[in-house]
Amino acid sequence: MRSLLTTAFSAALAALSATPLLAQEGEKVDLLSPNAGVMFWTLIIFVVLLFVLSRFAFKPLTAAVEAREKHLEEMIQSAKADRDEAARLLAEQQKALDASRAEAQRVVAESRITAEKLRNDMMEQTKQQQRELLDRARGEIDNERKRAITDLRREAVDLALAGASKLVERNLDDQTNRNLVESFLASAPVGGNGRGQR
Amino acid sequence: MRPFGRMLTSLLRTPIAHGVAVAVALMATPLAGGGKLLGQEPAPAAAEKPVDYITPHITDSYELEVPWFNSHFAKEVCLGHHEPSGHCAPLWGPVNIAGKEVNLSPTKHVVFMLLSALVAIVILVGSAIAQRRQQQRAGHTKGFAGGIEAMVLYLRNEVVLPNVGPHGEHYVPFGLTLFFFILFMNLFGLIPYGATATGNIAVTATLALITLVVVEVSGIITQKAGYLGTIFYWNNDLPMFMRPIMFVVMTPVELISKLSKPFALAIRLFANMTAGHIVVLALIGLIFAFKSIASGAPLLMAVAIMALELFVALLQAYIFTLLSSVFIGLLREGGH
Repeated sequence: MRSLLTTAFSAALAALSATPLLAQEGEKVDLLSPNAGVMFWTLIIFVVLLFVLSRFAFKPLTAAVEAREKHLEEMIQSAKADRDEAARLLAEQQKALDASRAEAQRVVAESRITAEKLRNDMMEQTKQQQRELLDRARGEIDNERKRAITDLRREAVDLALAGASKLVERNLDDQTNRNLVESFLASAPVGGNGRGQR
Repeated sequence: MRPFGRMLTSLLRTPIAHGVAVAVALMATPLAGGGKLLGQEPAPAAAEKPVDYITPHITDSYELEVPWFNSHFAKEVCLGHHEPSGHCAPLWGPVNIAGKEVNLSPTKHVVFMLLSALVAIVILVGSAIAQRRQQQRAGHTKGFAGGIEAMVLYLRNEVVLPNVGPHGEHYVPFGLTLFFFILFMNLFGLIPYGATATGNIAVTATLALITLVVVEVSGIITQKAGYLGTIFYWNNDLPMFMRPIMFVVMTPVELISKLSKPFALAIRLFANMTAGHIVVLALIGLIFAFKSIASGAPLLMAVAIMALELFVALLQAYIFTLLSSVFIGLLREGGH
C-alpha cells in the first residue's frame, strides 16, 4: 500500500521534473520545501483545535461515557446486593420454616406423650379405684360373712343348746355331754362350702 | 488489493508513467480552444502548449477555487491582492521572525486547514452536546453522536491508551485531535473544489514537529534525568573501555532514530495524500485524453482509486495517531 503510493509519488515527481515545460507560470514546482507561513498557521490552528476539542468535545464525551459506565457498574453492584439480600432472606425464611416445623413436631410429640401419660394415669387411677372398690366390697363381704358366721354360730349354739336342752331333759345337766357338743361345734365346718373359719 | 496494486505499480513503471503528465497535458490541446476543464488558467501561449492540471491541484497557492455558475463551474478567488499583471500576490508582505523572512499570508491550504478545524469542532462539539442530551433523556447515545462517540472511544481505548502506557489519559486529547484534524483535512481534499492541506509538506512537518515535542516532553516528564540516557548512549553492562566507543558510535544513531520518527510521519502522510491525488488526477486526465470508448477504463480506475483514497484518508489519520501514541509510549516506557 505504502510502497505503491510511494512509487506513484516518485513516478509523479519524476514525471514532473522530467517535463519542465509543465511549469506554466515559470514557478519551480517544489513540493518538498515547507512554507514557513503555512507551518505557523498549522501550529496555531492545531493548538487552538486541541484546546477547543479537548475542552468542549472530548472531556464531556468521555465524562458522559464514564458516568454511564459508573452508572452501569452501580446498577450491577446494586443488583448483586439485591440478589444476595434475597438469598439471605430466603435462607432466613427457610430456617424459620424449618424451625417452626420442628417446633410443631415437638409439640405433637409432646402432646402425644402427655396424652399417653394422662391415659396411663387415668387407667391406673381407674384400676386403683376398682381395686379399692373391690377390696371394700370384699371386706364388707368378709365382715358380713363373719357376722353371719357369728350369728349362725350363736344360732347354732342356741340350736345346739336347744337340742342339748332336749337332751339334757333326758341326761340332766350332763356337763360332759355339753362339753362334747361345744367342742364338736367348734370343730364343725361352717356351712357347706368347705371354707373354714379363719 | 495486491494484484490491483501490482497492476498500478506496473502501470506506473512503464513508459506510460513518465508520460502520464504529458498525456494529461496533451488533453488540453483539443480543449484549449473551447473551455477550461478544471477551471485552471488556460495556457496563455499557443494552443499547442500543454497545460499542467496536476501541479496546481496538489500545490499550495494564494488562490481559492469556489463553485461558480460559468462555463467551467469554478471561479478563482484571490486570497491576497491582485497585482496589475493579474497575478495573485500574498495578502501581506513577509515579516522577519528570528532572522528569517516568513510570509504569514493565508493560502489555499491554510483556508482548508481552518475549514477542517471548524468542521471538526462543529461535528465533535455538536456530538458531545447531543450525547449529553441523549444521555439525560434515554440513558445512552444513538445516531450520529453515537457513531462519533464510538470512534472517540475506540481511539481512546484501543489506540491511544494501550500504546502510551499506564496513566496516559493526558495524551488522549492530543491523539484524538491529531486524528480528527488530519482526517478532516484528508477528506476535504476528496470533495470537489477542495484542497488537501495534508498534501502540503509544511502542514505534515508541523504536525510531526508537534508530535516530536510532545514525545520528547513526555519522555522528560516520565524519565526525568533518565531521559538523557535516550540521547547519550552509556551502557553500564559493557566493559569499561567499550563504553566511550559505543557512546561515540551510538549517540548519533540515537539522535537519528529520534528525528527519523517524526520525519517518517511527515513524509508518510504527505506522500500518501499527494500521490493519491496525482493518481486520481492522472486517471481523470486519461479519460479525456483517450476520447473514445476506451475512456471507460480510466473512468472505472478513477472511481476505484477515489474509493481507495477515501480509505487512505481514514487510514493515514489512524496511522499518524497510532504511531504518535507508540512513540510516546516507547519513550515513557523507558522510565519504568
